Amino acid sequence: MTGPADTQPTLATSAGGSIYDLGYQGYHGSRVPRSGVVMALLWQTLRACYGIGRGARAKIVPLSLAVIALLPAIVAVGIALLLAQAGPAAARFEGFSPIRYSTYADIIAVFVMLFCAAQAPELFGRDQRFGVLPLYFSRALARTDYALARIGGLVAGLSLMVLIPQVVLFVGRLLMAPDPVTGWEVESPFLLPALLQAALTVGILGGVAAAIASHTPRRAYATAGIIAVLIIPPVIVQLFAGVGRSGLDRYAALASPADVLEQTNDILFRALAGTSSGTSRDLPDAVYLVAAVAWIVLTFGLTVRRYRRIAV
Amino acid sequence: MPLVALGSLTRRYGDVVALDDLTLELEPGIIGLVGANGAGKSTLIKILLGLLEPTSGQAQVMDLDVRTRGHEIGRVVGYMPEHDCLPPDLSATDLVSHLGQMSGLPRGAARERTAEVLRHVGMYEERYRPIGTYSTGMKQRVKLAQALVHDPRLLLLDEPTNGLDPAGRDEMLELVLRTGTEFGIAVILASHLLGEIERVCDFLVALDAGHLLRAAPLRSFTERTGVLAVEVEEGREALAAALAARGLTVVPDEQLLLVAVDDQGTYDLVRDAVVELDLPLVRLEARRHRLEDLFRDEGRAA
Repeated sequence: MTGPADTQPTLATSAGGSIYDLGYQGYHGSRVPRSGVVMALLWQTLRACYGIGRGARAKIVPLSLAVIALLPAIVAVGIALLLAQAGPAAARFEGFSPIRYSTYADIIAVFVMLFCAAQAPELFGRDQRFGVLPLYFSRALARTDYALARIGGLVAGLSLMVLIPQVVLFVGRLLMAPDPVTGWEVESPFLLPALLQAALTVGILGGVAAAIASHTPRRAYATAGIIAVLIIPPVIVQLFAGVGRSGLDRYAALASPADVLEQTNDILFRALAGTSSGTSRDLPDAVYLVAAVAWIVLTFGLTVRRYRRIAV
Repeated sequence: MPLVALGSLTRRYGDVVALDDLTLELEPGIIGLVGANGAGKSTLIKILLGLLEPTSGQAQVMDLDVRTRGHEIGRVVGYMPEHDCLPPDLSATDLVSHLGQMSGLPRGAARERTAEVLRHVGMYEERYRPIGTYSTGMKQRVKLAQALVHDPRLLLLDEPTNGLDPAGRDEMLELVLRTGTEFGIAVILASHLLGEIERVCDFLVALDAGHLLRAAPLRSFTERTGVLAVEVEEGREALAAALAARGLTVVPDEQLLLVAVDDQGTYDLVRDAVVELDLPLVRLEARRHRLEDLFRDEGRAA
């Protein structure tokens, strides 16, 4: 296009540099399908899990807890590498390390619970507190979509926290192995139970946190409620340990999500990786596994139901 | 295809009937939804958005049934709620672009649209600050922007001038008018202030306690250019009779007489009647916002 002034005098004003108010423009580009909208909300929820996209203060608690949960793995791998360098005699001491795939879930359990108590109210209560839900529910996603995206984001965030340390252990131990093939043969049996236990941990703790946090817009209530359900029952179960273990009261421990998880961890690693532990159980293994799945279904169901019913 | 079609739409909250057997078809345009607080305006809007289930009857938005295709309706409508709905710790930019994605825009497009739409509503540098620091006027603009970000075909605005000072009110109405007329987006504007509706709307739906009083082009209301309040110290009944005899619509209201103004001649007729009866005239006042009192009465008669 040549200079406008010599070909089209009517454009002289624009050549003179006038500023036009373009005003409101329509949008004619592509649109994302419903599943894409849900994924976008899930992604935003995952980021919010760690305070990304919020201020610096929102990041302190979740990132600290995630780092604390990772430290034992780094320490274990670091010490093992040092021992390996010191020679085969010293390397045998690594066998005494208490930090292993099968013990990791217990070691970090309380930090995962605190993470849930701190972050779930942000993900599930915030939109209620500030009246944002009508803006979501009047858009291209259904109430159930919203609930599933929020749950999915929390599950993804917790999975990172629970799985990254196991991956660090795994990679560290592969590096320590005399050769990769032997390393893989020794370490790979632990992958499946670690993954299954992580899924149960994330499902139950995330589910309990979501179910509680979605039922109140108040942050403090949600946090207190999550701590009450996750951290207090194990204490009670401990208090009553050994007292009257014959009748139906054996089933009481199933009401404590944390205790159910402790048992499934032992069951999975013993069955799939052949680890042995001294834990004795009052009930058949299958009961704990069923209870774990029931906790997940119940809490996710309550969360979805809450968003389907909430008046906006 | 009608913009909105309602068939015997009813909504109850327990024993309270919020919407009673509403049957109505609306064509695209700027539609005013007027009625006192509690008349059912917000309930109707929420049903159209799929936020509330109808108790019985049908409602369609652009041929999409609100019961079964709510998320499809969500793509083509924008909603500005009456109450606070903005998280205070996010910036306008972050919130509006996130909500753009929630309406089905790809990420990059949501960002671009956010910039355009915030400029359209008159938000500039402050759009990067947390919303908690905004004035009421700015918050209302952000609420409008989030309703527009995905380029909807229909905008549902629930009391958009709530909490604004007169200048802010004028600006908001001007924005609504521009959005509706220049960009071809249909608007349903709920307000309890008839004056606002008269300024921007071309079609008017009047609700009273869940009943449809009237749905008609605004012209048919404003052919009568307003209401004249007449106060006399005595002889009110005589004056009412005299005015009625002259063919005017007269409604008594406390110590006043409300007279429908048909044209300029109405003023002369009122003046002549007062003079003829030799009544002590206290007040002659144009009362446009009381127009609803008149058609409420018509609604009952009908």
